[in-house]
Amino acid sequence: MKKSALGYGVAIFGAALVAGVLAAPVGAFAMEDKLVVVTSYPKDLTGPFKKAFEAKHPGTMVEVLQKKTSAGVKYIQETASGNTSDLMWASAPDAFEVLKNDGLLAKYTPKATGIPKNIGSYPVNDPAGYYVGFAGSGYGIMWNERYVKAKKLPVPAEWSDLAKPVYHDHVGMSAPSRSGTTHLTVETVLQGEGWEKGWATWKNIAGNFKMVTERSFGVPEGVNSGDFGLGIVIDFFGFSSKATGFPVDFVYPTVTTLVPANIAIVKSAPHPGAAAAFIEFLLSVEGQELLLDPAIRRLPVNPATYAKAPAGFPNPFKDKSIGAAVKFDVAKSGARYNLVNSLFDVMITYRREDLAAAAKAIQEAETALSGKSNAEAAGLVKEARALIAAMPITEAEAVDAKYPGVFTSDVFKKRKKASVKVPKRQAEVEEKWDSFCLKNYKDAQAKAEKALALLK
Amino acid sequence: MISEIRKHPGQMAVMVLITLFLLAFLVVPVVQVVFVAFMDATTGGFTLLNFKDFFSTALFRESFWNSIYVGGMSVLLASAFAMPLAYFTSRFEFRGGVIIQGLGIIPLIMPPFVGAVAMMMIFGRNGSINLLLEEFLGINIPFMEGLNGVILVESVHYFPFILINLSAALQNIDRAMEESAQNLGCSGMRLYRRIVLPLAMPGYVAGASLVFLKVFDDLGTPLLLNVNNMLAPQAYLRIASIGINDPMGYVISVILVVIAMASMWLAFLALKGKDYATVQKGGGGLAKRRMRPIEMFFAWIIVLIIMTLVLAPHIGLSMLSLGTIWSYSVLPDAFTLDHFRAIFSETPEYMTNTVLYSALAGGIDVILGTAIAYIVLRTKLVGRQWLDYIAMSAVAIPGLVIGIGYLRTFFDVEVPGMDGQSFATWWVAIVIALAIRRLPYALRACSAALTQVSVSLEESAENLGANKLKTVYRIVIPLMAGGILAGFVTSFATAAVELGMTLMLVSKNADGPLAYGIYVYMQSAAGRGPGAALGIFAVLVVGLCTFISHVYVDRRQRALGMKRDD
Amino acid sequence: MNQNVNLAGHGSPVGVDIKGVNLSFGSTHVLKGIDLQIKPGEFFAFLGPSGCGKTTLLRLIAGFESCQSGEVLIGDRDVAHLPPWRRDVGMVFQSYALWPHMTVRRNVAFGLEERKFPRAEIGPRVEAALDLVGLLELAERRPSQLSGGQQQRVALARTIVVEPQVLLLDEPLSNLDAKLRIQMRRELRLLQRKLSLTTIFVTHDQEEANTTSDRIAVIEQGIIQQVGSPMELYDQPANLFVANFLGVANVVAGTVSQEGDGLSFRSDDGAVTVALSAAGQGPRSIVFRPQNLTIQPAGQPAPEGLTELAGKVSHMEFLGSVVRYQVTVGPHFLLVDSAHQKGVVPMEEGTDVNLFINNELVIDLPN
Repeated sequence: MKKSALGYGVAIFGAALVAGVLAAPVGAFAMEDKLVVVTSYPKDLTGPFKKAFEAKHPGTMVEVLQKKTSAGVKYIQETASGNTSDLMWASAPDAFEVLKNDGLLAKYTPKATGIPKNIGSYPVNDPAGYYVGFAGSGYGIMWNERYVKAKKLPVPAEWSDLAKPVYHDHVGMSAPSRSGTTHLTVETVLQGEGWEKGWATWKNIAGNFKMVTERSFGVPEGVNSGDFGLGIVIDFFGFSSKATGFPVDFVYPTVTTLVPANIAIVKSAPHPGAAAAFIEFLLSVEGQELLLDPAIRRLPVNPATYAKAPAGFPNPFKDKSIGAAVKFDVAKSGARYNLVNSLFDVMITYRREDLAAAAKAIQEAETALSGKSNAEAAGLVKEARALIAAMPITEAEAVDAKYPGVFTSDVFKKRKKASVKVPKRQAEVEEKWDSFCLKNYKDAQAKAEKALALLK
Repeated sequence: MISEIRKHPGQMAVMVLITLFLLAFLVVPVVQVVFVAFMDATTGGFTLLNFKDFFSTALFRESFWNSIYVGGMSVLLASAFAMPLAYFTSRFEFRGGVIIQGLGIIPLIMPPFVGAVAMMMIFGRNGSINLLLEEFLGINIPFMEGLNGVILVESVHYFPFILINLSAALQNIDRAMEESAQNLGCSGMRLYRRIVLPLAMPGYVAGASLVFLKVFDDLGTPLLLNVNNMLAPQAYLRIASIGINDPMGYVISVILVVIAMASMWLAFLALKGKDYATVQKGGGGLAKRRMRPIEMFFAWIIVLIIMTLVLAPHIGLSMLSLGTIWSYSVLPDAFTLDHFRAIFSETPEYMTNTVLYSALAGGIDVILGTAIAYIVLRTKLVGRQWLDYIAMSAVAIPGLVIGIGYLRTFFDVEVPGMDGQSFATWWVAIVIALAIRRLPYALRACSAALTQVSVSLEESAENLGANKLKTVYRIVIPLMAGGILAGFVTSFATAAVELGMTLMLVSKNADGPLAYGIYVYMQSAAGRGPGAALGIFAVLVVGLCTFISHVYVDRRQRALGMKRDD
Repeated sequence: MNQNVNLAGHGSPVGVDIKGVNLSFGSTHVLKGIDLQIKPGEFFAFLGPSGCGKTTLLRLIAGFESCQSGEVLIGDRDVAHLPPWRRDVGMVFQSYALWPHMTVRRNVAFGLEERKFPRAEIGPRVEAALDLVGLLELAERRPSQLSGGQQQRVALARTIVVEPQVLLLDEPLSNLDAKLRIQMRRELRLLQRKLSLTTIFVTHDQEEANTTSDRIAVIEQGIIQQVGSPMELYDQPANLFVANFLGVANVVAGTVSQEGDGLSFRSDDGAVTVALSAAGQGPRSIVFRPQNLTIQPAGQPAPEGLTELAGKVSHMEFLGSVVRYQVTVGPHFLLVDSAHQKGVVPMEEGTDVNLFINNELVIDLPN
């Protein structure tokens, strides 16, 4: 563990962000007296499981380390040499892919029975056997019933609905860089519709954003309180809000993917016996039923559990329309992970107001255009739409090692080798994208306003 | 130096210990952060390129000006709240004095981010006020849209800094100053403008600069209001999401520190040689006169408006904590006590942790504060003034920077005897970081208290055979007790509501204090009520502690004849 | 004040020796080559205007200041390197410095506690000290509940209860009203006699110094101008500063030169000429007190053997026992005291008068 103090400090920082090293006695086999779980899940979810597991295995204490997904990954990476964690428990499959590729996970084959191979179009367990799905999650649209009623808004069904003028300034979403689940939502649409069209969809929706929240929970929070009417959220936020009593509802659009929420045993876990027992507990009938708890509301992977589900609870094993449309390419997602996040922030999060202003102008022009024929105005609007949709980089460039390199290269490791080609600085690249988008948004707004003027 | 060590080995040892403490837990962590900002990512050498990138990026420039704008506007709005209140209490026999004193404390003891959530429910686009306005007037006022929301929340939260400092300055003005001006033919507003305001200016500037500083650095409020084009959230987002590859988060941290230091320095320059209050004897405040009924009427209207604004977060939070569902409606659908039941049965550790951490931090602060004040004011050790400067500089270091610095500095420091426990993620690190963050408050309180203790009281004890240590123990500390307690309470109360740094350093729920607990609760739909209940609990506990100690200090000062009964 | 002292048993009094003391605060040279011997049991005053260094000298003895050169000996013991708490000198502060958080009794007991006196002994000693200053019945009060005079007595009791070798008083009477001041200075003197305690008293008030002290050191600008008994200082001032500082003096500048067998003083303008029996020659000043002059309306016969000066009354002040005239003699304004008796009508302003000086009483001093 001897590195240069600075390099080490920097490298370790990410992990340290939320890290907690516990005093962990090196356990014997079988059921140890302790279990250390690194998880991105809120207390509402971990609490009941911890309680039930401890009740079932008296003498075993479950220690929960709550981290954001990305921080949890960094934590396990950084502490690998003196690992004290037993389980990684989180949603985003990407996170598990990263750990698996780093050789930081131990293979585990669950003994539980009755669990199908796929949920939606996605395999429940890692085909290579390193991580295990225990619940399904999908992304969709949540809305506040009182809000849509008061503002006389139609109920949306598809992502593209959210781009309609009627929803202008009524939609909220969190930035993908802030939450792994949101990242998957963005990536799902990009994979479902393709790079150019997918981004155009996102930007058109983003034109209606009231807010890009800094936390993934910011979206259900805003919808729940009625600050904005509709939000793009992961299903359990919608279900649990509804279960708590908020006047909200949730729908899965066609282009979505149901991905399993996962759990994996960390390599050289200090308490492997307890870790295995916890996974089995998760997959047991008792554990699966806990997922139906109103405050948790995830889709169990064991179809039998749905018998006990409350009325109206979606069942992906019966309703094949849920999450069947997209085959999620985990490898592709992983390769451009940071770049997609950064692009989203540059084009949408930090330029929301400019984008919204351009979108408003285009929407007004289009409304004015409907039923009229004005070739010049129509042309201008079309050009404006194209400007909005224009991308600073192509899909090929996005997975080209050159670009993601700016975002993922561990510069502090590389600096020792003088021969390594200096990648561009992230700030430099982002500034280029930013000026590209800002100019396009302004131009688009100007063209749309010009078109509107022509129509008056 | 050598001769000083020989002459005062004890004092020297204390000074060295404190210096080491400040170096280890304040200077080194901050320098660690600064270091990365100046480091070339590829070569590890020194570079200014990162700063060039900062200023050539439109988003960062925009964030920079937004932060300055929000800081400035918050000062203006906070002044608008504070000035009438300070004016009424200093100039008139105003019955609302007690209320105004309360107003001077209450906002400070609520975490601003909790206030932000509550303010959204009341002032948000579809909050109570706007729903009412829309129904009856058909208008919607964007109180909370974008930067407006940050300005409103921050002003409501931090205006007491101006109120407290301005009131104190007005109270310290010798009545003779006013009387001699009247004697020379100056009166009314003219008197106020020419004599009273210039004399009170140092207090105002001190308060205003503190407000600017706190607003400029605040992370929680913009984060909760989803305003990200400001410096502090940009730094946090850069560091927390993109992380180690991007030095921008560190660059922004450095800029935050520089601007904060600069604003402190400007305030210092503006105040230089103008600290009139300390050269005046007696004080006694301005002559107060009775208000005419019409004046009284308007004064009450103004006080009530300000009070409503200032208490809005508390009202909102109370309704959240007692309400069942509150969604797109003026009031919650129904009321319940379930949320309070939930927090007492589920998470008592948040409360015990808060009391433990804040009490420890407050304790460390008053010990350090007393020691530093003593060294600065009562010894002739070389460099003692620097001890004061360094300790005070913590006020300008954003909690975020401290948090990052701690992680970078202490992550690979193991706590002895704790089997691989990293110091950075140990709960004690939270306590120390809290103590460092709140040290300036305690230090100022202790310095003020020590200034009030006449040196001759100590000399007479030494003259009668008590050595320095005995004198400190038997004379200085008992006489400073009021100030020390005030410092403790300020540290305690504000530490209890600290979020930014806590968010960085808390590594497991069981170690989290209240503010963290509220944050965690508020991350789920079912947790909003219990989170709010926890917030109310925090306000009550801290408020109660503050009130009790205030009463105690007041009684004691009267008993010692250090304060007149007026 | 209750004089039933059972607070006794001080050893034989000690002296204080100050040798070649120089003290600076930064670039300000506050004490310049001070040499002073204070005898055992003496009541000694440091007298001078504010800022002259007298308090600094007192604080040096107490150990609150340290000097760059020279030494301070208390009863042959060099105390230069002793901290204040090992010096065994008692100091009464100008502000009294009573600790507001302690009762009178606890204030007085403090020094004994620090000296590790047995508890059983502290009580009686405190009571004796309080009894001595007549405040026994106020023992449980807090300082803020006492009057200025009472606080002063507590401060005194607190200091003497530890039976210090030397008692230092820093302007102890300055915070009292005029009447109380006179009473207290008598009591101080009596107490000092009673305890036969070497006492150093700092004051800027010559009357206070005169009425209490055996000897006085007049200090100005960090230099001891003169040491002597009050009467010596008044009658034989060593320089113009001392002459002016103690009492009221008429000072006329001029030259002393040989004239016939004797010496003669002539003011620069020639308006005042006085024959002197013995004096230094060259530029000198003469000093005489208002009571050394006699005043008469012009035209009345002159008394024998006195020097006559002609002038005009420019101002008159009635001081009770005397009438003080200001008389213009050439460019000089001379003060003349005339004893007042009931029924005597004073001379009006503008009256031409003759002044008479007894040459024997004139003091000549270097400029």
